[in-house]
Amino acid sequence: MTASEKKPQVYSRHLLGNKAGEQLARFNELLTGMMGSTENKPEALSGITVIEATRANFAGITAATLLGEYGAEVIKIEPPEGDPARKITPYGVNVDGVGLPFLMESRNKSYITLNLNTEGGQENFRKLADKASVMIDALRPGELDSSGIGYRHLKRSNPELVYVAISPYGHYTSQAEKLSHIPDTDLTAQAESGYPSISGDPREPEPYNYPLKAGIWAAWYMSAALAVAGTLTALFYRQMTGEGQMVDIATNDALTAWQGFQVVWGFTSEKPRDRIAGFDWCLYPYGFFKCKDGYVTVAAPLDPDFRSLLKLFKRWDLENDWRYLFDRTVDDVDKAEELRTELEKTFSKFTRDELTRKALDFSAKAARDPLRSKGFPIIVPTKEPNEVMREKHWNIRNDFLEVDDPEGGKFIIPAAIPKMSETPPRIKSTKCGIGQDNEKIYGKYGLTE
Amino acid sequence: MPENYFSFTQQIFNPAEAGHKPEAFKGIRVLDLSRIIFGPVISRWLALFGAEVIKVEEPDEGDSWRLGTYWAKYRKDANPYFQALNPNKYFVGIDLKKEKGKELILELAKKSDIVVENFRAGLTEAWHIGYTAASRINPKIIYISCSGYGQWGPLRFFPSWDLIAQSMSGVARSTGFPGKEAYKLQDYYGDFLPGLFGVISVLAALNYRAKHGKGQYIDMAQAEAIMRIMPNWTYMSVTGKDLECTGNVDPTMAPSNIFKTTDGHFVAIAIATDEQFSGLAKAMGEPELSRDSKFRDTLERLKPENAAEINRIVERWVRSKTEDEALELAEKCAFPVGKVMDDLRVVKDEWRRERGSIVDINDEMYGEEAAGLSAAMLEKNPARIKWLAKPLGYHNNYVLKKLLGLSGKEIEKLRKEEVIGTWDNRVGQKPPPYYDVSKDPMFNYDEGEINDGK
Repeated sequence: MTASEKKPQVYSRHLLGNKAGEQLARFNELLTGMMGSTENKPEALSGITVIEATRANFAGITAATLLGEYGAEVIKIEPPEGDPARKITPYGVNVDGVGLPFLMESRNKSYITLNLNTEGGQENFRKLADKASVMIDALRPGELDSSGIGYRHLKRSNPELVYVAISPYGHYTSQAEKLSHIPDTDLTAQAESGYPSISGDPREPEPYNYPLKAGIWAAWYMSAALAVAGTLTALFYRQMTGEGQMVDIATNDALTAWQGFQVVWGFTSEKPRDRIAGFDWCLYPYGFFKCKDGYVTVAAPLDPDFRSLLKLFKRWDLENDWRYLFDRTVDDVDKAEELRTELEKTFSKFTRDELTRKALDFSAKAARDPLRSKGFPIIVPTKEPNEVMREKHWNIRNDFLEVDDPEGGKFIIPAAIPKMSETPPRIKSTKCGIGQDNEKIYGKYGLTE
Repeated sequence: MPENYFSFTQQIFNPAEAGHKPEAFKGIRVLDLSRIIFGPVISRWLALFGAEVIKVEEPDEGDSWRLGTYWAKYRKDANPYFQALNPNKYFVGIDLKKEKGKELILELAKKSDIVVENFRAGLTEAWHIGYTAASRINPKIIYISCSGYGQWGPLRFFPSWDLIAQSMSGVARSTGFPGKEAYKLQDYYGDFLPGLFGVISVLAALNYRAKHGKGQYIDMAQAEAIMRIMPNWTYMSVTGKDLECTGNVDPTMAPSNIFKTTDGHFVAIAIATDEQFSGLAKAMGEPELSRDSKFRDTLERLKPENAAEINRIVERWVRSKTEDEALELAEKCAFPVGKVMDDLRVVKDEWRRERGSIVDINDEMYGEEAAGLSAAMLEKNPARIKWLAKPLGYHNNYVLKKLLGLSGKEIEKLRKEEVIGTWDNRVGQKPPPYYDVSKDPMFNYDEGEINDGK
């Protein structure tokens, strides 16, 4: 947004007059400051040191990465042969032996090798932990403890340490102890969280009718974010009291307790939810619809939204049908399917862009309606990732970073988020060679070879 | 140290003691102007860990998620989904479109540490209750604006919901079987994950402020949070191809799939490392698999034809095992297996009760209910639920009298002018039918302390 773009935009009827223009000019000035380079701005977590002790675990790796984006010094400890996470990658695709997820989460870290099975390695680990603010342990629960370098040992000499444990069932409870040797993956964490049982279409033939996992690392990334939010909560308490503590994340619980809706269903209903394909339990229409040249996403769940959708596409005939006017709750998938078929009949006459434009134009007019009773049906193209990557908006916001490093190869990674006026998170480096920072870190922390 | 590690951890995390431990955000005040899910989950985190969250809603209308219930069902005239999102908050009804309403908001912002909003980009600025107005009267304020696409750029006024953000970020095309229809991510993942990224940014800002005394503005975009966790960009830049849907197979692990057991359950198995693969091969009684050149090395095993082959072998094996046997072998041979749980099993799960991530509560107004907490368990500052979401405007007297020092007369005047208000007589907004608010000391708050924190 440039200074020339000061004319007041129509947000709603509440934005009127010159006063709004002035206000927005001040706001624009703030945003312009945020659009610039992050380089000389302060970092929220500078002075915080994070030790990452993880194995084949992207919940742990990403938790450390996110703290590093906010300016913490992150030291990743690997065995001499490297973290097996380096090989966790789609179809084995890699850049010089490093898998793509590892490249994506490699940012802003120091990479050192340390053999935790030797006494010397353990001693070095202790030295690092003494100087650290945060320890991220995504190894087997109890593994570090049995070497005498677990939380209860480390906190004796560093009571301010925030010790973050990440594992499938957590580091306490009888089940955690009983199943402590089962390693963590995204898929098993999704399953134990109950996610696949609410996804997919039971009407399809086997195996397409199976409970269906999310197509991304939904559990691993949610766990990583939970771990970071927990860490920062503990760091805030430490700031106030000088006390460290242990934070425990069970990845098998990541999509359950925090999202909470499963708990609501389980508590208020006698039986678990049946899977309902592309529909939603609360909102309808709310999903993907076929059109002339692909798919659009339609969200028009409130009555006024739905009625305006009918009006917009001249489908008032559907409104006479009491089923759709009063009862669009998806407790009967076949009925929901009927309405979908009807809507798709109409949508198939239009392209994605035509549908999007029609809905947007209608909403713009509806926003100026004094009663605001017209509804806001939303239609957008269901974008393919390659379209998203070409979208001008994200380029303006610098959301993709192209790394072109003669040693580390050429690839694109998503930028750090969100945008912040004072302490924006950022990417400072992406190099991730095994042991590349041994000399620097061993020297800085007085470790012995 | 002879004591068993798990006895030690059990003792420091004992959920029975959680209610007596200190709260991390005690004394932090949050002014929450947000609605639906994306904004409210940010203040939910803060409220679970002890912040005083003042949730502002439009009188008679309220947060539209009060109506966002499943199958149009209500419990005790309240929406359990809304309750799950809004524990421990203070509910006030203020009309933001009235000048006096805006003045009240700025008065509250003056006394707050954090403001959360998720109106359309720039709208709170236009209403003069945005960051520039709030930071003028309270320079230390942390102000987070949540929107679909951020505050600048050509898409900034584009509408957004969880599903719309899923579509605009491209993640909508990633779930499902190859060549079949794609499915959305369920239960509003497109709100909960971005909301959690919002929590992180607010906490980073709060930690910075605690050291340097400076507040700041945060532009949190829903779609950007989803894009941050997608591997598609890196994959595309290296291979020139999109990552297609792969059903229940995780293409980064082989074998990986959801398999059917002999007792009719489903289990997930995903093998991330060579070590885990030898464990699985041993459990299957086929240790020679881990010496097979097609499967021995991770990168080789991940090749589509090899991955498909090993998946077929594992599928046959799982068909001969029960769910319990699969779990036992996983523990014994150290490879990843997970039961496919469902809503009912999750809520009845002993493990989660013992862990304290799902708790039984007894709310003063709504009685007994099960609720999920944060899923991040803190030894010294555990999350807790003190009360469930209350009716619209329930805390008007408490907040306006105690915080802003208004008199009963002034409040009555604001009410008559419709600047403040409570619920309309509709489900989702009003108190339960059996509950008499005229006898409720909090609703009729006059002065002093009320112990409502149980």
